[in-house]
Amino acid sequence: MISNFGNTILFISAFLSSFIIYISFKNLKEDKTVLKKNIYQLCLLQSTLIILSFFILISAFITSDFSLITVYQNSHTLKPLLYKISGAWGNHEGSLLLWLIILTVFSFLFLVYNNNHPKNYRLYTLITQNFLILGFLFFLIFNSNPFSLVSPIPKEGLGLNPILQDPALAIHPPLLYIGFVGSSIYFSAAISSMLSNYQGKLFAQSIKNWVLISWSFQTIGILAGSIWAYYELGWGGFWFWDPVENASLLPWFAMTALFHSLKVLEKRNLFYFWVIILCIITFILSVTGTFLVRSGILNSVHTFANDPSRGLYILLFLSLLIFGSIFILFKKFQLNDYRINPNSKETFILVNNWFMIFYLITVLLGTIYPIFTEVLTNHKVSVGPPFYNIVIIPIVVIFLFLMSIGPNVKWIKNKFENYNLLIKILLASVLINFSIVFLFKSYSLISNFIIISSIFLIISTTLDFYKCIKKKKFNFPRLTSHLAFGFMVFFIGINHNFSFEKDFNLRLGDKEKIENYTVEFKNLNLEEFKNYKAIIGKFIIENYDKKLNLTLSPEIRIYENPNTLTYEASIRSGLLKDYYITMSNIDRSEYYNVKFQKKPFMMWIWISVIFISIGGFIRLFENEKKNY
Amino acid sequence: MKIIIIIFYFFLSFNNLNAESTVIDSGKIFKNLRCLICQGQSVADSNSDFAQTIKLVVRDQIKEGKTEKEIYRFLVEKYGEWIVYKPPLNKGNSILWLLPYLIFLIGGIMIFILLKKRPNG
Repeated sequence: MISNFGNTILFISAFLSSFIIYISFKNLKEDKTVLKKNIYQLCLLQSTLIILSFFILISAFITSDFSLITVYQNSHTLKPLLYKISGAWGNHEGSLLLWLIILTVFSFLFLVYNNNHPKNYRLYTLITQNFLILGFLFFLIFNSNPFSLVSPIPKEGLGLNPILQDPALAIHPPLLYIGFVGSSIYFSAAISSMLSNYQGKLFAQSIKNWVLISWSFQTIGILAGSIWAYYELGWGGFWFWDPVENASLLPWFAMTALFHSLKVLEKRNLFYFWVIILCIITFILSVTGTFLVRSGILNSVHTFANDPSRGLYILLFLSLLIFGSIFILFKKFQLNDYRINPNSKETFILVNNWFMIFYLITVLLGTIYPIFTEVLTNHKVSVGPPFYNIVIIPIVVIFLFLMSIGPNVKWIKNKFENYNLLIKILLASVLINFSIVFLFKSYSLISNFIIISSIFLIISTTLDFYKCIKKKKFNFPRLTSHLAFGFMVFFIGINHNFSFEKDFNLRLGDKEKIENYTVEFKNLNLEEFKNYKAIIGKFIIENYDKKLNLTLSPEIRIYENPNTLTYEASIRSGLLKDYYITMSNIDRSEYYNVKFQKKPFMMWIWISVIFISIGGFIRLFENEKKNY
Repeated sequence: MKIIIIIFYFFLSFNNLNAESTVIDSGKIFKNLRCLICQGQSVADSNSDFAQTIKLVVRDQIKEGKTEKEIYRFLVEKYGEWIVYKPPLNKGNSILWLLPYLIFLIGGIMIFILLKKRPNG
């Protein structure tokens, strides 16, 4: 029943998309300057239907309707309700439906919110977007259908991978999808802008809020994934340069470059084609990321169950996107005569883009390089954290300095007056860094550079904040994001250098001394929960100098559906530092392997990232206020 | 004067850097090794038997007085480049290590040309 219902809706949606394309083409040829009324209605209907089909899938998950393969493979009757629901998008098929929701809802909203822009531009955007929607609908219906049946109907489902049963991971995909699937709309707008010759400032204005929305959500989405990795994987880190993490970071770099350049297009009517290229790159990277994650071509922690036929389809779709956009770009490309003063905001934004593209290419290369060596030379190579750290970090140092100076540079032509102030800020940064080193612990040369440059950014942005308030000329969005970025790098630097990690083997009742801490293995309990059993350890951490006495309880969970062991970290988060402990059993022995970690300022890294994205939301809010 | 102070304190900040470099940090080595039987986990993060074995091997080698480089080289010979997270800089991997900087350089040159081309104004 549910299957037929869901499938029918998907087919109607596919038909609707084709119809919208057809009717838009017809509308293009008409002389009228306004859009046909029924186009709005069709688009509204289209997004409503897709959302409806998503709710149908969710209801199948809630009622544990195992006649659907997707539900059977990813759910279980004993699972808590929240994870039954989030299970709907915690798998390949359901998450593609989420893709489609974003594609169609953004398509409709873009159409509605841009009614002051020309008809042809809006229609071409709609047509392009509907080609994307059709592509994904075909993929969904014929290759990854969430409403496929299984027969005979199983009595019980296989269950959701336990490490995905987590609140942060329940909201992670929707946030991230608003981010990178949201980029589809300015991809379509960019193609449309070239086709309808609607260029320049007005084009920039029509897409800038959409870029901001996707960027802000992408930032928060990456954060949610990162927090999840921190407490769920039990390794104590928050970024592993894993291919899947990289896949979410790549569009982020492109978006960041894009909305900086967009500012130049809006204010000075420059860089039009560069903006177009960035729009296209952002979406293409999003699809590439999906391809890398879903095809299983890469070895990663969070690759879903994979299937080569999926990869082939996405690859085909991806090549069509790339060749299509390159073709249009070549046909329309003109070399414009730019007159840019080397000392101007325009130049600094170009430089920002230059660095962003560098990060982008480095991360992209590191991610796909292993595939190439394996295919071409049958030689397996791992590209991991050391590579990214060595290649990227030195460049970040320069980047942070430029990021401090850039925002105060004037449009068109600038004159530096305050060299003295910069030297004072540099002096302060070096002194603060020195006091950290002197009072606490020395660290490597490159860490010194990172800390100094991030403090430099923090001080200069704080001064800007102060100036802004004095002059009553606010630019809070930019200041918030830049300041938060400075703090993020600073806290990551401190966290990296002041974390400690010790692992050792303990028996019940044993004590271990590490620096000023003692870790005592006090107790071990077996408890039964609704959908798992847990072996819960009780550890007492003491530090006599600091009068610290806390109890941490890491767990080993035994899930039966599917049959998995997970190791749950026990974390005591604080303003200054987190204490983090995990334990794992050692086969054929009464010893447990215990990993004890101290991680300073973890919470501040999360808070900084939240503020980076808050900057984006404030700008969005301001833009909206200006329009009314 | 200020610049001198900056340089002075900067050098002070890392003058004792080389003090500890003779002790090899086994934790750092574990972080740079891939657990071959896991999905994207390092030896440091993994609980698998394989990871435990590698940890033993590395600790033994440190005791034998081998340097970090020698340990990596030993493991690469035994398990292939797949085991190290930092691909060795050799002829095969030169694209990986050099291309980012090459792109960075080209980007810089492009911006330079763009700014240079400007007719006087």
